[in-house]
Amino acid sequence: MATILIVEDEIPINELIKRNLQSVGHRCISAFDGMEAMDELAQQEIDLVLLDIMLPEIDGFEVFQQIQGTPTIFLTARSSLSDKVKGLTLGADDYLVKPFEMLELLARVEALLRRTNKEKRNFELDGVEIDFKSRQVFLNKILVECTPREFDLLEVLVNNRNIALSRDKLLELAWGYDYMGDTRTVDVHIQKLRKKLKLESRIKTVYKMGYRLEV
Amino acid sequence: MKIKTFLFTLMLFLLFFYSGIILISAMTLISNLESSKDRSLREHYFIASSYAKDLNALENRGLSIDNGVESLYRSYFNFYSKQKVILTISKENKQLYADLIEESYELPEIPKTIKTSERLVSIEKLVDKEYIRVVGTLPAPYDSYTLTYYYNVSDVISSWNKMTVSLFLIGMLICGFLAVSLLFVLNRVFKPLQLISSTSKSIANGQYGKRIEVKGDDELAEMAQSFNHMAEEIQSQMQQLAIAAEQKQQFVDNLAHELRTPLTSIYGYAEYIQKIVRTEEDRIFATNYIMSECRRLQNIANRLLEMATLRTSVSERKKVEMSELIHDVEQSLSMKAKKKQIEISYEYHFNTLFCDADLMHILLVNLIDNALKACSSGGLITLNAYIENEHKVIVVQDNGKGMSKEHLNHITEAFYRVDSSRSRSAGGAGLGLTLCKQIAVNHEAELSFSSEIGKGTTAKVIFTS
Repeated sequence: MATILIVEDEIPINELIKRNLQSVGHRCISAFDGMEAMDELAQQEIDLVLLDIMLPEIDGFEVFQQIQGTPTIFLTARSSLSDKVKGLTLGADDYLVKPFEMLELLARVEALLRRTNKEKRNFELDGVEIDFKSRQVFLNKILVECTPREFDLLEVLVNNRNIALSRDKLLELAWGYDYMGDTRTVDVHIQKLRKKLKLESRIKTVYKMGYRLEV
Repeated sequence: MKIKTFLFTLMLFLLFFYSGIILISAMTLISNLESSKDRSLREHYFIASSYAKDLNALENRGLSIDNGVESLYRSYFNFYSKQKVILTISKENKQLYADLIEESYELPEIPKTIKTSERLVSIEKLVDKEYIRVVGTLPAPYDSYTLTYYYNVSDVISSWNKMTVSLFLIGMLICGFLAVSLLFVLNRVFKPLQLISSTSKSIANGQYGKRIEVKGDDELAEMAQSFNHMAEEIQSQMQQLAIAAEQKQQFVDNLAHELRTPLTSIYGYAEYIQKIVRTEEDRIFATNYIMSECRRLQNIANRLLEMATLRTSVSERKKVEMSELIHDVEQSLSMKAKKKQIEISYEYHFNTLFCDADLMHILLVNLIDNALKACSSGGLITLNAYIENEHKVIVVQDNGKGMSKEHLNHITEAFYRVDSSRSRSAGGAGLGLTLCKQIAVNHEAELSFSSEIGKGTTAKVIFTS
């Protein structure tokens, strides 16, 4: 999957972001200040940068001006409008204000990767192959018929694999905010997916939480 | 106020001025009339005696008394009427030869009982004219005849009237001038007051920089000066308040940031455990972070509490033995120093220090702790206590990495960090030097820092009291 550089001077937060991104299959590199970040960027190809603004030595804005070209999401504890505007006018692709939820970070990373076509658009697991571009699912090379809603749910599970998602969260992500249905709907759709794709052992029920696609 | 003063002054002036005029004119009139009376008496006496002499002469020549009286009267009357004097002669209260006198004059009754050589003076009014009347008998043996002398004083009175009128007119003119000049003077006198009132109004409206121009060195200038002083005080107080408010805001902002960072980690790791963790190893890893971040929050809370108590409570100061103080500091830092392989040397040249032992302990430990953070292994920290210019001084010096001037100015601000990631990973709350400063202020001591990048930092506490 994608290679992501995390530039954040707070060690616990850096580590936390790294672990979350790794669990959905990204390769992560940590940098704790501006200089380190520049070194890493010079050494290898990076698909996406998560950049904290308040950094020791060289601040995030300066780092950003040096790395033009790589998709960047700014992270900051400051929610001031001027910072946001500055970040976005400099050409940042997105902006996240601390404290943020991991799912939000993952969703934004995913969206940015999709926009910049850095994400591999096929996913394979246990003979199941998903083509996100044509929105088709194959089991052992045979096309499996899925309703659009089922495909949405599958996509959410794949994008947030290894992360337990509550039924409410699944409803929100796959059905949208305005869906007024029961969480039982999620259960029904999960059962169908498990049966159709033979993913009973992969789509786990997490006790008192929801579901998780384990890879 | 101005109008009141103006009216009062004017009224008082008018009152005294006109009563003066009235008094003077009355006195003039009275003295004029007195002199006229004296004159009339003298004239009457003169006329009466010469009349008697002439009568005597005529009698000796053989003329009858009645004839003599008549002819003499006529000549006297003619002579004196040219001098605004009317003479009448009467016998036993009957006026004689009244044909000479114009009919319009209605002469008043002459008092009946008049003794010889007695004369009565009175003021009478004849046809709108004032006369002084002197009534008296002729000298003996002609004392059966009474000579009455009227002297016209209407001129005196009318000239007095004229004078009074012109005095009043002049008085009015003077009053007019006075009113104008009084207004002018009052304007000048009240101008500073008006200036003060308008200035204080604009100060009240928020223009704290406004001042009054001070001229001369009278009471008004003094007042203006003290007003300016007051305005300055207000301005500086306002500025201090504004600065204090700004600092407080800064503190709150920083505190919010300081709280948000560990909370982000704690929430994130809890979420991580809930949603992702599947192995025991990951769980321990996450819980470790949660605990260390909690400890950080605890540190901040403790430090804030310490600062709050320091601000409100009065420190208990007494004579503290330097040996004890240094010993305690040494004990609480020796482990840390050994771990980082840093040598700390202690030296003191005075035996006692008047301070709160606990607070001084915190101050010194914090200063050395900061020095420890700045030093790499093999570093050297010295604590030196000595007397300089009669003040006790404690200096903590390290040979660590030092910092720039820019940082030096801010290091005692709450949550300010020279190197944020390192200080935080070392568990600092960012309040150590803020606390030190507070303790120093509490002890009326000066806390100052000097530093050079690459050579080290020196912290100096000077006890001024």
